[in-house]
Amino acid sequence: MNVHDWALIAFTILVQMSIGSLWVLLLAHLFAARKYSVEAADRLSDRALYALIPVIALGFLASLLHLGNPFSAYRAVTNLGTSWLSREILFGVIFAILATVYAFMQWRKIGSVGLRNIIGWLAAIDGLVMVYCMSNVYMLASQPAWNTWATPISFYAATFLLGALAMGAAFVANYTYLQRKEPGCADEQCTLMRETLRWVALAAVILLGVELVVLPIYLVALASGSATGLASVKLMAGSFGWMLALRVLLAFLGAGVFGLFLYQNAMSAGKEKMVGSMAYLAFIVVLAAEVLGRVLFYVSHVRIGI
Amino acid sequence: MDKQLGFYVDIASCTGCKACQVACKDKNNLPVGIRWRKVFQYEGGEWIRQQDGQMIPSSVYAYSVSSACAHCENPVCAQVCPTAAISKRADGIVLIDAEKCIGCRYCSWACPYGAPQFDEDAGVMTKCNMCYDLVDKGENPACVEACPYRAMDFGPISELRQKYGDFADPAPLPDPSITKPSVIYNPNRVTKSSKQADGHMVNLEEL
Repeated sequence: MNVHDWALIAFTILVQMSIGSLWVLLLAHLFAARKYSVEAADRLSDRALYALIPVIALGFLASLLHLGNPFSAYRAVTNLGTSWLSREILFGVIFAILATVYAFMQWRKIGSVGLRNIIGWLAAIDGLVMVYCMSNVYMLASQPAWNTWATPISFYAATFLLGALAMGAAFVANYTYLQRKEPGCADEQCTLMRETLRWVALAAVILLGVELVVLPIYLVALASGSATGLASVKLMAGSFGWMLALRVLLAFLGAGVFGLFLYQNAMSAGKEKMVGSMAYLAFIVVLAAEVLGRVLFYVSHVRIGI
Repeated sequence: MDKQLGFYVDIASCTGCKACQVACKDKNNLPVGIRWRKVFQYEGGEWIRQQDGQMIPSSVYAYSVSSACAHCENPVCAQVCPTAAISKRADGIVLIDAEKCIGCRYCSWACPYGAPQFDEDAGVMTKCNMCYDLVDKGENPACVEACPYRAMDFGPISELRQKYGDFADPAPLPDPSITKPSVIYNPNRVTKSSKQADGHMVNLEEL
């Protein structure tokens, strides 16, 4: 592992998490606006939205660290015709700009609610295109461990899993903040937090299921596909076997065990404190699992040839 | 388009002396750690243990493969490069423009020949440029000229193929269908193709 790999791990995880977060945030906002009011929805999601912008910025800063010549990074969008990397950066930059504009408009309440929502959803949809491009960056003919359908599936799964749990934690933090500022004010917000947490937990459990189904199929297909693929599997199961095991264990604990607990207890009155702690814990544990999974992704690829 | 230029390497004559590798390093003044041309020593096969404990070689083999950028017909490095820093000249020579390269190293993930290599000090990728300065003067690349066994040849790949055949994938080189390399080899009697590869590289620490 060197600094370049860490830069890419940070970049892909942070940006995917931001894209997933924006989706969950917009869905929660939509749900809250329908159920109560746009004001209530803004109170639920605005602070989380402001927190998202530095995360996106950090992700892109990290991406610069893997360049030999970071000051010329702007040139990375000059081969859109054939390079998926160019396309990834283009859609990534558009995502960052739209998300920032959306956050700024929400902050200053510029423009109509409809216009703001359109900007937000455009950012979210652009984000999904970016994850698609990002998957294609790795699907190279000479990289059997990456050149499979498992790459886009696991990227999208990471996007929504991290996004869901990050927003779960953010909504808990937001509610805690609101309560401290004006105790007793937040009945409406309390219900919103509970219901969104329930959905977040359900999404986490389903996405964990996807990851757990994809992983063994991927490993078997890779091992039986080519000698180079087998070499990758031997790395993942051999010298990095502990990492793979820990990654699965943490994902199971965070999204499965804690997720199920959240799903069952989110609505129970009087358990807000415990549910909140569990939401934080689930996010941290799943973030660790996904980072380990991404480390594994970068250390276990074996290129065909010499 | 002019005729695609290419290399020919005669594995049957090559002794693995690495004069080509050193001549390349010298001519191009390459920094420590960067070798545009590399000689891969490949070995495999088995010994048979007899009842008295003696070992008899049965299928043991060894040979060397000199390889650099293959100046491919399908240069995946150029396709994936986000800054379009890699281009193919009219004569097929694939070049990296150091002014455009941002050092993202993506080409080194895509190229199955390990041709693009990162220059830490310059912050950009570098690779074999087929000594285009010499080629433009009508001379041969330094590696070809340096071979003491006259095991290398250079010229339009179509002519080389006519003269020497079109075997392009001695193990450990990859399946040529990925990039369609402009390099051909003359196998010796033990040379395995990429599909028959059952040996291993023995000089990994110097590659």
